[in-house]
Amino acid sequence: MAEQEQQQAPPAPEQEQAPQAEKKGFGRGGRGQRERREGGAPRQNRGPRRFGGEQEWTPLTKLGRLVKAGKIKSLETIFQFSIPIKEYQIVDHFLKNLKEEPLALGPVQKQTCAGQRTRFKAYVVVGDNHQHIGLGWKSAKEVQGAIKGAVINAKLNLIPVRKGYWGNKIAQPHTVPCKVTGKEGSVRVRLVPAPRGTGIVAAITSKKVLQMAGIQDCYTQSKGSTRTRSNFLKATFHALKETYNFLTPDLWGHTKLESTPFQEHSEFLAALK
Amino acid sequence: MSRKEQDIKRLIASQCHIGTKQLHFDLKRYVSHRSDNGSYILNLEETWQHIKLAARVIAAIEQPQDVMVVSSRPIGQRAVIKFAHYTQASSTRSARWTPGTLTNQSNSASGKFQEPQLLIVTDPHLDRQAIVEASYVNIPVIALCNSDTPLQYVDIPIPVGNRETKSISMIYWLLAREVKILRGELRQDEEWDVLVDLFYHKEITNDQLGITDTQVKQEAEGEDHEQQAEGEKADKDW
Repeated sequence: MAEQEQQQAPPAPEQEQAPQAEKKGFGRGGRGQRERREGGAPRQNRGPRRFGGEQEWTPLTKLGRLVKAGKIKSLETIFQFSIPIKEYQIVDHFLKNLKEEPLALGPVQKQTCAGQRTRFKAYVVVGDNHQHIGLGWKSAKEVQGAIKGAVINAKLNLIPVRKGYWGNKIAQPHTVPCKVTGKEGSVRVRLVPAPRGTGIVAAITSKKVLQMAGIQDCYTQSKGSTRTRSNFLKATFHALKETYNFLTPDLWGHTKLESTPFQEHSEFLAALK
Repeated sequence: MSRKEQDIKRLIASQCHIGTKQLHFDLKRYVSHRSDNGSYILNLEETWQHIKLAARVIAAIEQPQDVMVVSSRPIGQRAVIKFAHYTQASSTRSARWTPGTLTNQSNSASGKFQEPQLLIVTDPHLDRQAIVEASYVNIPVIALCNSDTPLQYVDIPIPVGNRETKSISMIYWLLAREVKILRGELRQDEEWDVLVDLFYHKEITNDQLGITDTQVKQEAEGEDHEQQAEGEKADKDW
């Protein structure tokens, strides 16, 4: 790393490295110091490098440590035991092709003695167009920061979406398993199963969310002040959440009691400490 | 006299059966009757059964340190520390439950983030914060409950009345003993050589320690200076 930096530096490229350091004492030392500091600090925090390299993630929670060590095979294990996801890197680990879409962005203000303090609130939907969806929001001083924060928040709020059939059980599930409704504020969103080929019959906001969740066909009904984008988004999100809360007859059977990942890997976790 | 009879006698001697004058409907099933002066008397049969159940749950946790014991009540603190000592559980270092102990995993928090598998609580009223946080992170809760305690988020209540150090200590002593038996450290019929008295809370006054009033004042000022210096340093670093 340090070598690369020195090659990029303009003065005296052909001399050996050790004498170089001694000769151009102050300048070299000064530059070397700066380079050393830049080289020492995680490079990933600087400009273009961020998108290229992977940030070194030090897990802060037990779940994080298990995921990083590869002890947890899939996200569904986490959902099965209702374990709260506190680190967004856990989601990134399992879902590589997660799409992010900021759906609502607007200024919010707070009154201070020196006038108004404006921040930007962003609502971002994150989904794999298959069966996972997350809705996050964040308020920050800059738009970019708000969107970034919202993306992280969305990953933490990721939920699995249950899909079903409208009629005959041929091919893959394509619509919601039953009529579900979600509410937020005054907004009520109702998702109704639709036959294959219908597409998503919904307002643009809802449609985007449903698309990213992987629903192919759906009828919707909405009520309330759907102009309030944030509430409309949240209501749709809650409706999708309900798909796995609904007890359908095929779930009536007994499920075997399994030990949670924390129990199963308790020795591993204890050894890590 | 059977083991169970001995234990019930111990509970009565520690006055674990005397509840408060209020009754929360959650605890109706644990109450046997009301005494002449209005206090609700708890059914010690239920208490004993729940101690056994709680001990089983504690012993089933693979790593002993994944059990966390909490008491913000001063009279329960010694019992909790002793319990943790004899069962290798973990306990909060200080009386105050720092909010975020179970939920705040960020590095900026004072490194007190814990992820236990089980939480044992001495008073659901006072340790409310701990119980609420446990509900956020899927941690089951065992709690010592009096007759007026709501059982919200409490998974295994142990009805014990009369919030005195005697009764709290007796419960923790019995719990610790049961856990040791289940883990095989004690035999079924063996008498545990550790006495309940070790779990009792003692008010140690400054007189006993030989500290005078002026010393206390100086120490308090010293602490203030320390805190001030810490605050200034934090400001500079920031």
